[in-house]
Amino acid sequence: MSETEIFDRAARRLRRDRAAPDFAEQDFLRAQMIEGLLDRLSSVTRSFSLALDLGCFDGALGVELRARGVKVVSADAGFAFAKMAGGVQCDEDRLPFADGSFDLILSAGVLDSVNDLPGALTLIRRALKPDGLFLGAFVGAGSLPQLRAAMLAGDMVHGSAAPRIHPQIEVRAAGDLLARAGFALPVADSERLDIRYPGLLRLAADLRAAGATNILCGRSHVGLTRPQIGAALQAFAEAAEPDGKTRERIEILYLTGWSPAPSQPQPARRGSAVRSLAEALRKS
Amino acid sequence: MSVDPDYLALLVCPISRTPLRLDAERNELISDAARLAYPIREGVPVLLVEAARPLAEQA
Repeated sequence: MSETEIFDRAARRLRRDRAAPDFAEQDFLRAQMIEGLLDRLSSVTRSFSLALDLGCFDGALGVELRARGVKVVSADAGFAFAKMAGGVQCDEDRLPFADGSFDLILSAGVLDSVNDLPGALTLIRRALKPDGLFLGAFVGAGSLPQLRAAMLAGDMVHGSAAPRIHPQIEVRAAGDLLARAGFALPVADSERLDIRYPGLLRLAADLRAAGATNILCGRSHVGLTRPQIGAALQAFAEAAEPDGKTRERIEILYLTGWSPAPSQPQPARRGSAVRSLAEALRKS
Repeated sequence: MSVDPDYLALLVCPISRTPLRLDAERNELISDAARLAYPIREGVPVLLVEAARPLAEQA
C-alpha cells in the first residue's frame, strides 16, 4: 500500500518529533490558525462539552479550549507531541475514536499532509455526535510560491525538477471534500498571510521548526549540491523588495462543517414548491 | 501513568473500528477483532498500525 501513498508516514512522525522540543517559540503560523479557529468558534452560539484536538502539536489549542470550559482529548501523529499534550498517537486518516464521541473537533495545521484526506474528513464526521461541529485550518493552494520558484531554479542547475513542495488543496476543492464527507452546512474560506523573509535559509528553518519540511514519498534522498543551493538562494534573494526581504505567501484554508442532525435547516424537497418560478418571473 | 478510563471508552481500533480492551499487565490495548495489541508508551496510547503487535491465533 505504502508505494501508492503521497506522504511518508514514518518521516511525518519523525519530523514532528524533531520539531517538538522548541515548538512553542516557533509556532507563529499555527498560532494564527488557532486564532482563526477560535474566532470562528466564538461566533457559534451553542456550547460544547467534549472536544478532540486533532493534530495537537504542543497542546496550545487544548489549553484555549479548556479555558472556555470544554473538556479536550488530544491526538497527534507524532509521539512527542502526543505525550506533551497528554493525548493519543494516531494518524488522522486512521482515526481511533468511536462514532459519536465528540461534539466538537478542531484541527490546526495538519490536514495538508494527510494521505487520505477524504477518508480523514469522513472519520472526523463519524466521530462527531449529531449536530457536532468540525473546524479545520491548514496551509492551502497558493502557499509558498517563492520557495517553489527558488527550489525550481536550484533544480534547473542540473536540468530536472524534483518533487519539493507538497500538493496543496484549493478552497473550492475543500468545500467539495466537506460535502462529500457528509458534512452539513459546509463552508471553506481562506486567509492570506504575507511573511517577509531576509533569506531562503530563514524560511527553511521556519519550515523545519514547524515540522513542515518535505515528506513526499517521491522526494529525493540525495542532498542538494552546492551550485543547486547557490542558485536557489540567489533566486529567492532576487525576488526581494528594496529593503532586501522577500515576501512569501501563505494561504490558510479554513473548513467548517456540521455533522448532520434533523434539527438543522434542510433544503426543501425537490418539486415541493407551490408556485411556479416561471410565473413569478413573468409577473415582475 | 495510566490511561483515563473515560477516554479509553472513546478509543477504537483504527483497523476494525471496534472497542479496545486494556491489558493492564502488559500495558497494551487489545483489539480482539483485528487480533492486534497496541502499546501504551509513557502513558501515550500508540494507535498506529505499524506499532501494533499481532496476537497469536487462538486455537
